[in-house]
Amino acid sequence: MTAAAIKFSGVTCRYGRRTAVDGVDLDVAAGEHVALTGANGSGKTTLLRAALGLHPVTSGSITVGGRPAATHGEWARRRRDVAWVPQRLAPGRFPLLVDELLDSGGNPVAARTAATRLDVAGLGGRPLHTLSGGQLQRVFLARALGAVAAGARALFADEPTAALDFHGQEQVAALLAALPVTVVVVSHDRAMSRACDRVAEMAAGKLRLV
Amino acid sequence: MDGFLDLLTLPAVQRSAIGLLIAAVGLPIVGVFIIGLDIIAVRFAMMHVALLGIAVGLLVGVDPMLCGLLACAIAGAGVAPLARRPTGLPGAMGLLMTFAIAAALLVLSVSGVNATGAFELLWGSILATRNVDLIILGALTVVVHVLFWRWRRQLALLLFDRELALCSGVAAGPLLLALLVVVAVAIGASIRLTGALLVDALTILPALGARNLGRSLRSMVLWAIALGVAGNSIGFVVALLLDQPPGPVLVLVAGTLTLLTYLIPEGARDAIDPGHRVDRGGDPVPAGQRLWQH
Repeated sequence: MTAAAIKFSGVTCRYGRRTAVDGVDLDVAAGEHVALTGANGSGKTTLLRAALGLHPVTSGSITVGGRPAATHGEWARRRRDVAWVPQRLAPGRFPLLVDELLDSGGNPVAARTAATRLDVAGLGGRPLHTLSGGQLQRVFLARALGAVAAGARALFADEPTAALDFHGQEQVAALLAALPVTVVVVSHDRAMSRACDRVAEMAAGKLRLV
Repeated sequence: MDGFLDLLTLPAVQRSAIGLLIAAVGLPIVGVFIIGLDIIAVRFAMMHVALLGIAVGLLVGVDPMLCGLLACAIAGAGVAPLARRPTGLPGAMGLLMTFAIAAALLVLSVSGVNATGAFELLWGSILATRNVDLIILGALTVVVHVLFWRWRRQLALLLFDRELALCSGVAAGPLLLALLVVVAVAIGASIRLTGALLVDALTILPALGARNLGRSLRSMVLWAIALGVAGNSIGFVVALLLDQPPGPVLVLVAGTLTLLTYLIPEGARDAIDPGHRVDRGGDPVPAGQRLWQH
């Protein structure tokens, strides 16, 4: 497994007339772990979503492993390359079982091993909407670790410890710190920031290194 | 009882029974898709779109029902891009309905075709089922089952959350397109085959009941088929025994079964769930690879 360098060059994203991300430049070296902090609404989530093709980039470019993404095939490759822990852990409008979610990461065995380490083993037959916020967050994290085991070379995690207790925050921070892939993690959690190589802060859509 | 058994020997009744059975196996899955996509208004929308197709068919002299189904397929494909918007599909159904009825009435007016005659092409009856209708229903059922069983894992993710599906490697766009076309054509054809009233009993009601009982997409589909078969069988027999029109009786029976599902306690659902099994997929961990320790 090789980690992928990630490069954001002059990235701007808008919601209608409102600019959410404003000309962001950020180089993340292969294998580096970067914490993205900042106030709510400062554009952190939009930046990660743009890198996954879930929000349009108005101008600028994002490459992962030196590759841009524009066609359907390139986006599909990008999404295989980058494991994702979403911020909005909505239970969805339709039932989905924990095991079905773990399987979707690409490596069910690794995802279940991760689920065991994250203390959410044995929930496989339960629909996601019956889980607590903390359990849901751990299950999504286990899925992402399964994706890394399946070959993803980077991991984007959007506030992966927001619903966890202090022990859980330490546990997840340590687990992410040990990952041999590039990690960009949006977090307000100090333990997580300490575990990263670098902290970058966003304010009103702009980025500054801390 | 003799009268009931005599009725069962009539070819028209036999065709109706077979039609209902085929419909009960296929159409509840369409209902599950409809609920998953949050487009319960699709029945009304497709009825009007089919009417527009029929009007165009009558105007240009091509088989009206074929044009109606084609219009449904095009409309289904046409609304697919709106699924990217948070409230895109439910809103699109209302828009489609309004546009289609206005356009249909305009076409009928311009062409001088009797609007009542065009409407009548849409009102089918299960007792008037023909052999060709059984073939169409059978083909629809096969297509729906192939779509579901071949892509059930992808569909489960797509109906749960489109972005999660995208990030799991699901070709969400093409799959959604296929789903909407199949739903639109199935509803358009079913209205012609069984009548507009019965379409709800065959699609939405079993799926609504299944939504209360199933814990996953797979178990929802199994429950929907079970409720569809039970509702259609009981309803048809009751209608024959009471010598009443099958449409309303079938709807009432299906509605009662659906209501009953609301009475089942949450805790009891696990015990009765026939689909409490998970499909496995993906590759195992490659040899020598381990989850990261620290």
